[in-house]
Amino acid sequence: MIAPGPTLETERLILRPTSGEDLDGFAALMGDEEASRFIGGVQARAAAWRSMCTMAGSWVTRGHAMFSVIEKSSGRWVGRLGPWTPEGWPGTEVGWGLLRETWGKGYATEGAAAAIDWAFDNLGWTEVIHCIDPGNVPSQKVAERLGARNLGPGKLPAPFESAPIEIWGQSREAWRARVRSRA
Amino acid sequence: MLGPTLQTERLLLRPPCEADYAPFAEMMGDVELTRFIGGAKPPALAWRGLATMVGCWAMRGYGMFALIEKETGAWVGQLGPWKPAEWPGNEIGWTLARRGIGKGYAVEGATAAMDWAFDHLGWTEVIHCIDPNNEPSIRVAERLGSRRLGPIQCPPPYDQVESIAWGQSAEDWRARRA
Repeated sequence: MIAPGPTLETERLILRPTSGEDLDGFAALMGDEEASRFIGGVQARAAAWRSMCTMAGSWVTRGHAMFSVIEKSSGRWVGRLGPWTPEGWPGTEVGWGLLRETWGKGYATEGAAAAIDWAFDNLGWTEVIHCIDPGNVPSQKVAERLGARNLGPGKLPAPFESAPIEIWGQSREAWRARVRSRA
Repeated sequence: MLGPTLQTERLLLRPPCEADYAPFAEMMGDVELTRFIGGAKPPALAWRGLATMVGCWAMRGYGMFALIEKETGAWVGQLGPWKPAEWPGNEIGWTLARRGIGKGYAVEGATAAMDWAFDHLGWTEVIHCIDPNNEPSIRVAERLGSRRLGPIQCPPPYDQVESIAWGQSAEDWRARRA
């Protein structure tokens, strides 16, 4: 079964709520040392199942969570991205994590842009942030492409408090002005 | 609604929801209550734990129920069917908040949850994974009529927790309930 929430579409991607059939994808993402390095580290399949359930549960309790990202051309699950505001989080985040073999295609920027539009239009957010490890250059580039600025060091809640992160972000006004100027 | 609400003499069993967060986090932060289920968790992990349970209901149509004391309306724990990926069996588990312990609520609630699991999930047997030193839970399993089946290996993140499986078949359960 699929968690309650909307389905969004971009040129190359479908963004939909978490579904029970996404386990192989979550397990592949969280089982890859490189891909999971900045999103909590490697998890065994059983732990990845819990992470998937957490995402599905946030769709129910918060009314938002990261979408599962489906590549239109292949129909396969390629990652999860979108709004994420767990307890104690330093702000209203749109985050991303994609399977390594789908990196380099601009999917993170394409999907996150749709998720940011949706969050500003539907969740009442006035700003969006991205918590990024100072060593995570690929995600910094995604944030830059989205128009976010590095707002400085931030802190995640325990037990994640020792993870070094910088908070990138922008206001709703800045986001919408940029979208308008491109239109 | 994510699932049914069951009723016993003193308890309501309903799917978990966001309103359960405060008492859930208090329970998960309690060193004594969590001693045999992996230890106390900070609020950020308790929130994820509750979301995980809600998410299991959303995707599979079952999970542990929130346990509500009828007389007060208070959340007094969680209990019921639970089968994470790679779990060694169909578990009926329980964890009670401080205000829920010592009243027989685990046995009363688990009885209703086992009836429901056997009738609606097609389970033919249930297990309870219990730390060998967890005397109160061992007594609950015995009162439910479960037998000690032997040591069992749980998957991560509980692979370092020592567990003994207790359990019984649907047939034994129904014979006892008849």
